[in-house]
Amino acid sequence: MANSLLQVKNLVKFFPIKKGVFRKTVGWIKAVDDVSFEIYEGETLGLVGESGCGKTTTALSILRLEKPTKGQVIFDGRDITKMKKSDIRKERKNMQIIFQDPYSSLDPRMKIKDIIAEGMLTHNILKNTQERYKKVGELLERVGIPAEYMDRFPHEFSGGQRQRIGIARALALEPKIIMCDEAVSALDVSIRSQIINLLKDLQEEYSLTYLFVAHDLSVIKYISDRVVVMYLGKIVEIADKKEFFNDTLHPYAQALISAVPVPNPDYKKERIILQGDVPSPANPPKGCRFHPRCFKIMEICSEIEPKLKEIKAGHFCACHLYK
Amino acid sequence: MNRILRKLFSNASSLVGIVLLIIFIIIALFAPLIAPPLSENPYQIPRMSWDIAPQSPGFLMSDNITDIYTVTGIEVKWNKAICGTAEGGYDIFYGLIWGTRTAFKIGLIAVAIAALIGVFIGSISAYFGGWIDEIIMRITDIFLSFPFLVAAMVLTTILGRGLDKVMIALIVFGWMGYARLIRGSILSAKEETYVMAAKALGVKDIKIIWKHLLPNTIFPVMVQGTMNIGSMVITAAALSFLGVGAPVGYADWGQMVSFARNWIIGSPGHAGQYWFTVFYPGIFIVLFVLAWNLIGDTLRDILDPRLRGEL
Amino acid sequence: MINSRKLLLEVKDLKTYFLTENGIVKAVDGVDFEVYQGETLGIVGESGCGKSVTALSILRLLDYPGKTVGGEILFKGENLLRKSDAEMREIRGKEIAIIFQEPMTALNPVLTIGFQIAEALMMHFEISKKEAIKKSVELLKKVGIPIPEQRVNEYPHQLSGGMRQRAMIAMAMSCDPILLIADEPTTALDVTIQAQILDLMMALLREFNGSLIMITHDLGVIAEIADRIAIMYAGKVVEYSDKKTIFHNPLHPYTLGLLTSIPRLDVEMKRLNVIPGIVPNPLHFPSGCKFNPRCRFATDRCKKEEPSLIKIEEGHLVRCWNVERVVKEVKKGFLVGV
Repeated sequence: MANSLLQVKNLVKFFPIKKGVFRKTVGWIKAVDDVSFEIYEGETLGLVGESGCGKTTTALSILRLEKPTKGQVIFDGRDITKMKKSDIRKERKNMQIIFQDPYSSLDPRMKIKDIIAEGMLTHNILKNTQERYKKVGELLERVGIPAEYMDRFPHEFSGGQRQRIGIARALALEPKIIMCDEAVSALDVSIRSQIINLLKDLQEEYSLTYLFVAHDLSVIKYISDRVVVMYLGKIVEIADKKEFFNDTLHPYAQALISAVPVPNPDYKKERIILQGDVPSPANPPKGCRFHPRCFKIMEICSEIEPKLKEIKAGHFCACHLYK
Repeated sequence: MNRILRKLFSNASSLVGIVLLIIFIIIALFAPLIAPPLSENPYQIPRMSWDIAPQSPGFLMSDNITDIYTVTGIEVKWNKAICGTAEGGYDIFYGLIWGTRTAFKIGLIAVAIAALIGVFIGSISAYFGGWIDEIIMRITDIFLSFPFLVAAMVLTTILGRGLDKVMIALIVFGWMGYARLIRGSILSAKEETYVMAAKALGVKDIKIIWKHLLPNTIFPVMVQGTMNIGSMVITAAALSFLGVGAPVGYADWGQMVSFARNWIIGSPGHAGQYWFTVFYPGIFIVLFVLAWNLIGDTLRDILDPRLRGEL
Repeated sequence: MINSRKLLLEVKDLKTYFLTENGIVKAVDGVDFEVYQGETLGIVGESGCGKSVTALSILRLLDYPGKTVGGEILFKGENLLRKSDAEMREIRGKEIAIIFQEPMTALNPVLTIGFQIAEALMMHFEISKKEAIKKSVELLKKVGIPIPEQRVNEYPHQLSGGMRQRAMIAMAMSCDPILLIADEPTTALDVTIQAQILDLMMALLREFNGSLIMITHDLGVIAEIADRIAIMYAGKVVEYSDKKTIFHNPLHPYTLGLLTSIPRLDVEMKRLNVIPGIVPNPLHFPSGCKFNPRCRFATDRCKKEEPSLIKIEEGHLVRCWNVERVVKEVKKGFLVGV
């Protein structure tokens, strides 16, 4: 049984909606609403959901790049949500992030060697400039970019290469956990497998733990050990990967799996087409948030919000269908 | 860098601007050689005669002045007013040459300091946002609401005459444009993912502004500054024309034009007979401002695609 | 192949180049395919392969510096490249319609949805504005937008992504076109919304017996809706066949590479295959076969000579010198992905 590296407890992040001349708060966007889960050392936890479900906000809140409204994030025994700004900065060494957009996540005016070295400079790792750049070179080679390119600028590289540079930057601090926020979504199809394989290899080599945020279930299935499904700010299901795909419990998760197109013309699957749009996180439905679109709806669903319960060993679901 | 230089030289208007600027730089650098000073303060335009009325180009230094120089032991290296004299006998040519140095001084110093102040204020405002931004922007608005020329005049009246006071006025009422410009740029740049990436690395806020935000947003400010050098000189000239700028006889184009005030029309029957009092300093002002404008324009065209990140 | 199907669109050796100051970009450099009535052709490729430019070329929507410099586009037997601007305007919207990836930029943000649909109707039919708006409401209902009477007066920003795409489909289908071109219509949408939109598109086309050219990079979407598939790379079609053949018996190394490098839900994959390298810069295409720098099977011939699109078997065309080697890999079970 692996160690629990990160615990998220009742995390809440609301964004205020301000209107009028005096910027009064007229409502809240309930982006993340009471989310709890754990990440174990060495695993890849796949966090999946569609737009507006709160998965990216969750990842950013864990990193304190967004300030959580309520709740706790316990990393290595310390509660990050209660820390001072200066302590958080020190903590950043241990938690890194790879962003979705390779084009805007690298400062266009910095040479890539400085982009990768910036973290080390900030945390006073390898004070000697020569040693620092030597490490930059090693990191670049490890992610598949020739070290002699280190004096170049981001615009001289392709999207896939820039993503590799972003990975090298995250690795430079030797973090314990890396958030991959849609790390391959913006890349061409033929490049995605390069980056996915790289991430997998690096995980083994550096004993990394990943929180992999994505909307693409196929990628999640390939790379994750466990899966967390979010809908409109809430977690609806958590399970080991195999268990999740073999025995999907939550109706939304079932619909999600059914909606993913499979590159196999003979593939037969249960056709579940959901009605309507995703409601706005400013005005989530009463009771179970999924109930207006649910094809297994019962009377209780529009009244009472289901709690996340452990239905089988390690398999959690928030749905009134299961006791 | 190379691309910028290439583009600077590739189009006609920018070439004109560069050539003009180079000519002005040469004039400013070699001023002591082109127009040797005849007194301790080189910015004091030597007088060629005691006549109030301006003298036509080609006028020779009058004897009584030459005598004064001989008596005080100053060598008279030249004695012909090539462009004529202004009111009071001040040599126009000398004023044009040394006025070039003055123009550079005013333009570069006023713009540099105003830009520095503006960028500092604007970036603090944009980065921290919230009530800091509100307060700073309201202060900026207050400064902007003063009509510039009137405000500059009031300030110089309080502080006294002189070009340094003019520069103070230019700076005090000139930083706002830069502040707003950099604030707009930073407000959008700070949403860029690489800023969040720097935060995720643990970089301190001040460092983020200095290392990431400013280098990416400074270009519009540089373009604006370049274009403003010319307008600073014109404004200083306007203030001199209005009488609150440089003192009498100071080598400053604006001051020379102000001298021409009474002589622009000329005497009855000889309209425009004193054209040289207005024309020479005027044309220098026009060409100087034109040079900076052309260069600024080209810089903006070059930097525009860069602003989109194409380097 | 069923010969009684009517050939609706035939693209022959289409060439569209961009004349830029940095050189000539051969965005589309010899593309051939056919679309039959009632059928869906899938054009698959990644960014820069020329698929979008192909779509725009068919409708002659390209502006300077883009220019169609060669080939034929035979729609119902007539060459679209020879038609006048007025004739093309008649065809656009009425006979051939197009929907784009980003509904927000394709819809005019300052005009109401209803007006934009009505505009197309009034352009092609002799009806009054009132009648056109009434028809718009019907169309919005047909594409599944709830409370269409209210939506018809709303602006694009008031609708969600899925709703906007439905509105775009309504606009495209308003004049009952016989051919719909969809350029990555669902790429920007959530997967559950994508399923709805694809369902809707297929239902509408079945109703009108219309044809669809579906342009996408998503092989899963293609597997669901296409009948025939053209795989594009670097401005050319590299493989062209029916759906089953492409997925079960691909012959081009690029197709094989794509199929084995994407993660999928139906099969347990131990390791993803990798296509090394990157998509080539259109200003600096490699000599010989454009795919050769990334190809496992590349030989010297591939580096020097560009292969042409050859018929390997009935209804299956491939542009490659080393087809037999790919066949061997497929036989080895490489394709299944395990």
